[in-house]
Parts: sequence; C-alpha cells; structure tokens
Amino acid sequence: MRILVVEDEPDLLRSLAQALREEGYAVDTASNGDDGLFNAEGTDYDAIILDVMLPGMDGWEILKRLRKIKKTPVLMLTARDQSRDRVRGLDTGADDYVVKPFDLPELFARLRAIIRRSANKTTNTIEIGDVTVDTAARNVLFKDKPVELTAREYSLVEFLALHRGTVVTRTQLYEHLFDENESSLSNLLDVHVSNVRKKLGAEFIVTRRGHGYCIE
Amino acid sequence: MRIFKSIKWRLQIWYGLILVVVLAGFGITAYQLEYGRQMRRIDGELHLRFGMIANVIHESLPPPRNHPRFGAPPPDQQPDDFPPRQNPPPEKFILPPWTLGFFDTSNLYGYYFVITRDGHEIERSTNAPDQEQFAYPTSRGSVTEINRTEEPPYFQKNDPSVKYNGGYNYDADYGKQRMAAGQPGQAWMRGTFREVITDLPSGEWILVGKNITPELKELHRSGLEFACIGAIILLFGLAGGRWIVSRALHPVESISATAIKISAGDLSQRINVAEAESELGQLAAVLNSTFARLDAAFAQQKQFASDAAHELRTPVAVILTQAQTALNRERTAPEYRETVEACQRAAQRMRKLIGALLELARLDAGQEPMKRLKFDLSQTARDCVELIRPLADERGVKIISELPPLEITGDSERLAQVITNLLTNAIQYNNPEGEVRIAVQSQDGAAILTVSDTGAGIAAEDMPRVFERFYRADKSRSSANNGLGLAISQAIVAAHGGTIEVASEEGAGTTFTVRLPVA
Repeated sequence: MRILVVEDEPDLLRSLAQALREEGYAVDTASNGDDGLFNAEGTDYDAIILDVMLPGMDGWEILKRLRKIKKTPVLMLTARDQSRDRVRGLDTGADDYVVKPFDLPELFARLRAIIRRSANKTTNTIEIGDVTVDTAARNVLFKDKPVELTAREYSLVEFLALHRGTVVTRTQLYEHLFDENESSLSNLLDVHVSNVRKKLGAEFIVTRRGHGYCIE
Repeated sequence: MRIFKSIKWRLQIWYGLILVVVLAGFGITAYQLEYGRQMRRIDGELHLRFGMIANVIHESLPPPRNHPRFGAPPPDQQPDDFPPRQNPPPEKFILPPWTLGFFDTSNLYGYYFVITRDGHEIERSTNAPDQEQFAYPTSRGSVTEINRTEEPPYFQKNDPSVKYNGGYNYDADYGKQRMAAGQPGQAWMRGTFREVITDLPSGEWILVGKNITPELKELHRSGLEFACIGAIILLFGLAGGRWIVSRALHPVESISATAIKISAGDLSQRINVAEAESELGQLAAVLNSTFARLDAAFAQQKQFASDAAHELRTPVAVILTQAQTALNRERTAPEYRETVEACQRAAQRMRKLIGALLELARLDAGQEPMKRLKFDLSQTARDCVELIRPLADERGVKIISELPPLEITGDSERLAQVITNLLTNAIQYNNPEGEVRIAVQSQDGAAILTVSDTGAGIAAEDMPRVFERFYRADKSRSSANNGLGLAISQAIVAAHGGTIEVASEEGAGTTFTVRLPVA
C-alpha cells in the first residue's frame, strides 16, 4: 500500500510519515500544494492524506484537479471543523474528512476504510482458500494458524488479495509497495514473492510470465 | 396588573378619561345654556303677564303721592298733580277679557297673586296653587331688600299728560331688556313652579308664576339626549383612539418582536423600517445600525475564536502525533529526543500564539493602558535595530537607519514592540542580501516612522487584508509568524491615536508607515 501525505507542518509530516511506515505503508510526502498535486497525478497511490491549508495550491484545488483524472481515495486533513467545511470537502470529492488534532489509531482506521471501499470490500477480512487476510489487524492466518510475515511481505499479500482475480504487474507492485526514496532492486520483489510462497503454499501466488502476479 | 403596565392601555385609559371630561364639560355647559335659555323665555313670558296685571292694578291703584320709590315728580308737575290715593285697595281686580286666556284654570298657564305691602292677599288667579303649598315671600325682608336698591324697573314715566296713574306705565320693553341683559326680576324656582315677584310703586306685590313641568321634562329629555350623544361620541372616540394607538404602537411591536429574535441569538434580524421619517422610524434605524454593529462585532469575535482554535489545532496535532508515534514501540534515545524536540517546538508555538491572543484581547477590551511618557522615538528605534541585527545578519540583510532625535509622548515599550515586529517582517520577507530601511521624521506635528524592505512585496489582492488577524499571505502555518503581529501593531498604534499604513510594489518591496501624534 502506497500513501501520499501532503502537509505543510514539518514536524507533523515527519511523524505522520513515520507512523504510517511503521504500519507497513510505503509513504511519499509533499510539503506544499504544487508538489502534492505533481505526486498525486504522477503515481497511482492507494490513498492520499491531504491537508487543506497549504502554501501554494490549497487542498481544495488539488482535490478538484486530481478528481478530473483519478479516483484515488483522498482523506482530507484540516483544522477547520465547521460542518460547512466538511460538506465542502466531501462534495468536492474527498472520501473522508479528519479534523486536527486527530487520534492516530482513528486516522489509520479511516485510511483502511477508504482503501477497502476503493477495492469494493466491505469487511476487513479476505478469505482465499486456507488463507485469511485481516487488514485491520494486519495479520494472515494459514489453516487457522497465524503466519509470521514481514511488513513488506504482508503488504504484498494484502495488495494481491485486494486485487484478487486480476493480474498485478511488477510495476504496479513496485509502485504500491515501495516509496520514492527506496532503491527498488529488481529482484527484491522476487525475494518477497518467494518468501510468501514458502509460508502460504506455492500455489498461493500464481506467476503470469511476462505479465505479473495474481491470486486466484 | 399587566393591563396597566401596557403603554397601549395606559394611553387609552388616559385618552378615554380626557374624552369623558371634555364631553361631560361640553354636555353640562350645553345643558346649562339650554336651561338658562328656557328660563329666560319663561321669565319673559311671566313678565309679560306681570305687565298685564300691573297695568290693571295701576289703573285702579294710582301710586301714592311722595312715594319714596318714585322720587320727585317731574319738574313741570307739582306733587299735587299726582292723583292721591284716596280709595282703599279694591277687593277685586277685573282683568281685561283678552288676558284671561293667560290665567285660566289650566295649570299650564300662569297664575298670579297680588299681595298688599303688609302681606295680605288681595287677589289670586283661579288656577293659583294653594297658598299653603307655597311659602312665597310674604316676609318681604329678602325681597324688598333687593328691589328697593333701584328704581322700580318696569314702570316708566312715558306720558305726562296721562295723569290718572301719574303717567307711569308698565314698560314691557324695559322688562324684556332687563331679561336680555341677564337681570330678570326676582325669579326663582319653587318646586316645579317658576315665579316672578315684583313690587308696584303703589307698594303692592305681584307674584306671577307658572308650572313649568313640561319645560322641565323637555329639559330633562334634552339632557338625556346630550348624555346619549355624548356616550356615542365616547364610544366612537375610544374605538378611534384604540385604532390610532394600535397604529402608532405597531412599529414598537415590530421593534420588540425583532429585538426578541435578536436576544434569542439571531443577530441577522433587522427591523423593517417602513416610515423612516417618523420618530419610531428613526429609532428603528438607530437600533438597526446598532444591531448591525453588534452582528459585525459578534461575527468578528466568532471568526477570531474560530481562527484561534484553528491555529492551535495544528501544534496540538503535532504533539499528539509525535507522542503516539513514539509510544507505538521502543525507540532509541535520539529518536525520543527528536520527538521531544518536536513537541517542544509545537508547545512554544502555542505559547507564543496564546500570548499574542491574550494581548490582542486586552488591547481590544482597552484593558492595556498605554503609558504617556516623553521619550526619543529614534533612540527606541535604534535599540530595536540592535536587537534584531542578529536575525538580519543571519539572512544577510543590511539595515539602513535614518534616525534624527525626535521626542514624542507615548509608551516606548509598546512602540518598540511595533518597530520590532515591522523590522522582523521586513527581514523575513526580504530577499537574501536585501535592504531594510528605517527612518523617523517629523511632519505636520506628527512623528512618521517608516520601515521599508526590498523584498517581493505584497500582492495587490492581499493588501487590504494584511492587518487582518491570522492573515498570512503565504497561507503556511509553518513560518514563525503567527499572523497576529501586524494586527497587534495596529492595535497598539491605534491606542496611541496614530495610524499605520502599508504601501507595496510587487517585486520592489514594501513600506510600512506609522504616523503618531507627537504630544
């Protein structure tokens, strides 16, 4: 899961990005409106956390322009809590609206919710044969027993599970599992896939040669 | 009672009372006039009849010689010429037949008595009421007293050649004149009888009376009519008064209805001013402008409070996020240190913001008194420049001072705050290696302090808003500026009776001009 955070307060941006990374997300950051829009338009993020008050282009404007080309779930972050502002945010195309100061667990829950909704899932658990993926608890059960996965391995499983039945290309996986600062060595993905197959069974992830990976 | 507290009812009660008094006064006066008119008419009638009797009596009773009431005889006549009274008063008078109609048995017409000077009744008409019924004035005391003060009113020497009655004839015209002049003879009411008593020169008294029950009844009816008409007028008057009062007080009701809505919290309400010219219209206009000012002040306060809360949310969000992230798992000492430092920065920002908010609130409330001491504005400015120099050096900004001594009266610490704020802005929004110029000069009895920079300037659309609270052209919360500095500066300058203005050219720089009264 790759997230973009657009926030102009440096301390807030840094701690938010850190907390999200520790949750297993790949996080890109932008500290002003123009960079934010550039990133949002150029990359397929799984969700965007967008502050309203920004130097340069403000959050409303970014949302308006982004909605013309993308359906990326957007969670608006603002210090204004009047219902007028919330209505405006939701009407402009925001998927959810969180008022500062926010509680981190709540922010994460809302983030999971908008990602889930964008993948047309209604619950946090995805069952694939003997494997159960719990996106809220971020763990995987294999034959009702918890399986130890690294954060990156879990993200790989979760992403493929959310896009079950469709072929996910390597590029897409790179885009969604690694942020812009990570040097994505081409065989790193193969290593993760191979580790997951060892833990959840070789047939769990199917390789479509020349296309990508798929969970059927 | 509530009814008596209502202006509407009080007005109406007073109005009704006044109307009652006016109508009653008018009615009573009209009744009195009518009564007087009737009585004069009756008295005239009675005097006419009196004249008839008097003439008859005169013919048979010539006045005595040297009658004190007649005075001296005319000069061309000797007293001897007066026919002396030789005969005793006759027992009976024979009234001429044509007069009988006036004194017949019907009570509607007049009656009469003739009484001698010493009180014996000589004659009475057939229709006269029983003597016992009346205590007519045989005790002449009261009557004579009045009558003897003047000449006998109804007799006049008209023809000296007529000797048998001394040439004195009853003068009906004179009687009428006296009536008209409001001096009837001795007329009074006795029950329902109106009577006139007059003495003759010969000394006899004649009382002529009439039962005036029909006239009194008519008067009574007129009185009732007056009362009815008065009552109807009163009813119409009260109804009209109620309508007028309601109409006049209608704007008051609308004002009060609006005021109730406003006191309930809806400050956007205004009184509908239909008649702006009337006193209430003016009152409504004054109230409306007051409401508008209140509304604006409330809106400003609300905006201010909301902005303040908004400004505080971000640092709180920083602290909360930092703390929650740090506590998620075990961290290394440098990581904790970093978290604590971030929290400290956020807390410092809140501290500054809260300080500025409090200061602004005190300045708004006028609770921050300005000292009024003489000091050198240039010296204060120099101190500020020295204070700010490290920041300027850090950014490579050069400060150029033009500070001739200029003594003004005011609060040097507060004005130093203004100068420092302007200098800080000028340095922060300047280009690296830019210039800040600070100058003080005297102009038209005012001290002018200018701070100019060579920075990017302020965009035209931002110019009107630079003194607004929390307004920052860059919309960024991350700068050290909390958006209150210029608002505070403006409040301080205003408390000194001065003004602060901004002029800017995009790309060339900005100049703030502070104008302060010297004394």
